[in-house]
Amino acid sequence: MTAAGGPVIPNFGSGSSCVTGDHLFCWDWVKQHWGDTLGPALAQHVELTAIAVSVGFVLAFSLALLAHRRRRAEQPISIVAALVYTFPSIALFQLLVPFTGLTYTTVEIALVSYTLVILFPNIVAGLEAAPPEVIEAARGMGLTPRQTLFRVEVPLALPAIVGGLRIAVVSTIAIATIAATILPKGLGFPIFYAIALPTPFKTEIYSAGILAIALALVCDRALVLLGRAVTPWTRVGG
Amino acid sequence: MIRKHTRRAAKAAFAISFGVAIVVGGVVGTARSANRAAPTIVIGTKNFPEEFILGELYKQALEAKGFSVSYKENIGSTEVIQTALTSGKINFYPEYTGVIVQDVFHHATSPSTASATYALAKKLEAAKGFTLLDATPFYDTDVLAVTNATAKKYGLKTISDLKKVGTFDLGGMPECQTRTTCFLGYTKQYGLTNAKFKSDGSVSAYAALDSGAVLAADVFSTDPPLLAPSKYTVLTDPKHITGFQNVAPIVTTSVVSAAGPSFASTVNAVSSKLTLPAIIAMNKAVEVDKKSAASVAQQFLKANGLT
Amino acid sequence: MIYDTANTHTFVQALRFIADNPGLLATKALEQMELSGAAIGLALLVALPLGIVLGHLHRGSGVAIGASLFGRSLPSIFLIAVFLTVLGLGFENNMVALAVLALGPILTNAYLGVEGVDEDAVEAARGMGLSRSGILTRIELPLALPLIYIGIRVAAVTVVATAPIAAYAGGGGLGDIIANQASYRLSGVLGASICVMALSAGVWALLLALQRATTPKGVRVARVQNPAGELGKEGL
Repeated sequence: MTAAGGPVIPNFGSGSSCVTGDHLFCWDWVKQHWGDTLGPALAQHVELTAIAVSVGFVLAFSLALLAHRRRRAEQPISIVAALVYTFPSIALFQLLVPFTGLTYTTVEIALVSYTLVILFPNIVAGLEAAPPEVIEAARGMGLTPRQTLFRVEVPLALPAIVGGLRIAVVSTIAIATIAATILPKGLGFPIFYAIALPTPFKTEIYSAGILAIALALVCDRALVLLGRAVTPWTRVGG
Repeated sequence: MIRKHTRRAAKAAFAISFGVAIVVGGVVGTARSANRAAPTIVIGTKNFPEEFILGELYKQALEAKGFSVSYKENIGSTEVIQTALTSGKINFYPEYTGVIVQDVFHHATSPSTASATYALAKKLEAAKGFTLLDATPFYDTDVLAVTNATAKKYGLKTISDLKKVGTFDLGGMPECQTRTTCFLGYTKQYGLTNAKFKSDGSVSAYAALDSGAVLAADVFSTDPPLLAPSKYTVLTDPKHITGFQNVAPIVTTSVVSAAGPSFASTVNAVSSKLTLPAIIAMNKAVEVDKKSAASVAQQFLKANGLT
Repeated sequence: MIYDTANTHTFVQALRFIADNPGLLATKALEQMELSGAAIGLALLVALPLGIVLGHLHRGSGVAIGASLFGRSLPSIFLIAVFLTVLGLGFENNMVALAVLALGPILTNAYLGVEGVDEDAVEAARGMGLSRSGILTRIELPLALPLIYIGIRVAAVTVVATAPIAAYAGGGGLGDIIANQASYRLSGVLGASICVMALSAGVWALLLALQRATTPKGVRVARVQNPAGELGKEGL
């Protein structure tokens, strides 16, 4: 194990005084590491969320239609939903690992479960919100039950659906940070990494966290606007 | 009456989200499947900066010599990464010789010299189908540290001095609790019946020491905070219960053969340059000066003509 | 092998883990309840009076309702990390982090509960000569209790179910088991999770009983549509 002459140890340069002095927030670090740390983490986070919400929405919508048609299905599905509430989220990721490994799939299954649990009750409530008189009127005009569903009940359910989507998206973005306990991707990873350093690194924690919060709030706003766009009748004045 | 375009908008939104889910799922799925044509070196690392540096060093050196490398950083602790290795998810990762002997193969103690530990580790791994390449000059052992104030208060110089303290909390990573190179070893070998284990979770043990959450903590000998002048006192371990911990890459034997002779020589050339000053300087650059492990590795390899 | 291959016996193994480790689980559960209780208490201290006052004054709806949205967007590990940097590693940083998560539901529901009290009831009370504080304590608060309690229950369950993450910052509790599959195996992780669920359910039931005991007979416990959907599962 003797080396043939010692190695050359280059001067790696010291960190800025802000970083080594453990200051509250170091913009220079953010600018320097956007490309290799924060940017990729944000992109991964968006990817994780987008997949989870899309898949969760499709599943929730299908299940909601099923529950709407067969009222008896609603109870058991609601009970499962309530159970997921009390289940610690870090555990869900951990329990899936033996089945699907330390992979994106594991993370997505967990995130989709939570999205489902949020969207399902909201969509069901929305579908049930259609006043009986409106449904009668539709039938009276000759619409089949299927046509009534898609031309009357679903559009009337849109505010509740969008409301559920808002909650689901914001919650998923927050929960996705926990994916870092099994997969070093997403905005959770810089946070877990930074707290493990000999002195927890404030800038990395704050910048990753603020990015996650900002992402959530921006998506929420976007959904509000989308909601208004798809329900123009709610904006009609007196 | 519900307007037609709203109904269409709703249908479109539904179709689009469904389509996006399928397309994205498919793309993500295909990207994950490995390219099995050439012998790809799949390097994994454990979950702390020193391992990230080691991983990047080996990865970049191999890539510079034309090898195809897939890099899976931050897999987890010893137990987790061992599963990744034995199940074939990775075929290369830098491990510590004492850890191999005591934590992977569960021997109660390590041999009494660094080279004997390496030889034993190499033999044990070879029997399982893994090759241990050359070890680094540097060693990184678990050490038990207290703050200087604590050392002064109780007159602590060596680990057994902790018997003088009343019941106290000993901090460490969660895995430390059941390891003979860690909590189990400290308490059994030095008779510390007054010690209670407190998991640090993912947070640095130094943070726990600083806030007084624990009295003593298991840390690592190449950590930058231990460089003089240090705020912490390392308690001596005369029984060497934490073993000798030089780093040596574990590689699946079949991959070593398939990759050809230049593979081993490339890796060993990197390992030979990793002296204690070198690794501490790199740790400091990453942990204190916040440079990225990749850039630090790159600069080191370049300065030593390894890329 | 640390990540066990799972099989149909996993659930049974989890129950066996619970049966085999009562002392460990009890200690961890107690740690977790200490942390959760302190966090909920702190949140109540801050958010309950604020929500009630805002609702009474019919002011600050943006803040009161926005608090839930904002609270939902806060990742729990981020909160824990922030307070770690501010308060150092210990009990307090985890307690404050969890308390922040509990603020939203308590504040929003207290506000909505008091603010939404029927105008006519308030008018009638004013007509009978009640003072402002009298109206608050004799009319608005009792009528707002159902919603206030829902907010507290949701906050409490959120805190108890989220507390395991504090284990990543040395906070102890059942999270020490859940986050340590290497030592406790799948059976331990699932067993500890079942215990967390039981704790959450217990807290919910306890608070529901408290509500029944303290709500005046004349006030009906209103059935709120999808409380789960309304308040969401956030930042866990």
